[in-house]
Amino acid sequence: MRFNWSARFRALLLLILVLLQACAATPQTDALLGTTSSTPITQSRVYLASTPFYPQSQYQCGPAALATVLTESGVIVAPDELVSQVYLPEREGSLQVEMLAAGRRYGRISLPLGGQLTDMMKELEQGRPVLVMQNLGLDSLPQWHYAVVVGYDLAEEEIILRSGTVEMLRTPMKTFERTWARADHWSVVLLEPGELPVNGSADQYFSALASFEQVNESASEAAWVAGLERWPEHELLVMGYSNLLYRQGNLETAATMLEAFLQRQPDYQPAQNNLNQIRQELDGLSTR
Amino acid sequence: MKKAIRSVSVWMLALVFTAGIAFQPSAMAANDGMVTTQQLLSQQQHSDNLAKVNAFMSQEKVQQMLTERGVNVDDAKTRIASLSDAELEQLSAQIDELPAGQGALGFLLFLLVFFMLLDIAGVTDIFPGV
Repeated sequence: MRFNWSARFRALLLLILVLLQACAATPQTDALLGTTSSTPITQSRVYLASTPFYPQSQYQCGPAALATVLTESGVIVAPDELVSQVYLPEREGSLQVEMLAAGRRYGRISLPLGGQLTDMMKELEQGRPVLVMQNLGLDSLPQWHYAVVVGYDLAEEEIILRSGTVEMLRTPMKTFERTWARADHWSVVLLEPGELPVNGSADQYFSALASFEQVNESASEAAWVAGLERWPEHELLVMGYSNLLYRQGNLETAATMLEAFLQRQPDYQPAQNNLNQIRQELDGLSTR
Repeated sequence: MKKAIRSVSVWMLALVFTAGIAFQPSAMAANDGMVTTQQLLSQQQHSDNLAKVNAFMSQEKVQQMLTERGVNVDDAKTRIASLSDAELEQLSAQIDELPAGQGALGFLLFLLVFFMLLDIAGVTDIFPGV
């Protein structure tokens, strides 16, 4: 009798939970579809038909999704090759950090986007698919999933995905927002060095690029240059590029760059420190 | 008496850590080497993690749970500010694993790690005479 009651109680709890989930808010979709004028989105429908499709084998959505964005970015790689790099058999899944690291290993800058639906759509407008993580289950009973967003349709209120074994999955925008929000809006684009995201902050770009440089120093120069073109006053980018020049033995160019920066922002200590250091080394060279 | 000793040693710890933070910039300037990109990256990640943990600590629900367990929220924040990069990373990763609805299991896990870290702070009893 007692057991019976608790079973019913649990069923009721579960029902409440499901109902709560069902009416979870979708603020981004509402804002996007509710406004007619102030949206930053210029195209009403985008579909990246050329993005390849790798149907996933059992549980291996991570390798399949990663292979999709890598191939689209010009690095042709099959999911099987990625399994040993990003798939954890005992967890039956892939960790986000390993997905980011694998992108770098293949010469691409893995840049996490800020979690705005519109940022994702801007990338799609530029022809760049977006790797996303979703929680298709509930917060309390998660079912994690990686997929690739390859389009959207504002009129139909749909997001278009390469997902699992479905080549063109049309998901209602609201459903997508809920499952995506439950995975903390995780979304990533892969950039070839020299490419920039449509939106995004210099801090995020620096963080992605500095991580990339650790494994791919020789390919990072174009990325520093491109970053500084957009954010010429950003101290971390100035530091990062001048450090690369320094390591390449290009001391004079590095010093000139830091001097110019310090004229604009004289109080930034790390730049002062590095300039002093480089000047000492240059003096040592000239008096030798 | 024992309690008094403990509270003094906590203050000493806080002092040492605060001093460490306060002297960091000059240490950087005095340091002969270059400030590397990787150092700047870990600094950035450190402050990101710190912001995340502090935001978590500022939630009313969390503060209430801490208070119920006899932990002073300000003390806890002071201690968190002095955690190492690795410890902070661990804590921040734990918060990431918390489901948005703060399911009981995730939250318990978090508290476990949290008190483990507090223990570490207690283990650092390097001033036995105080």
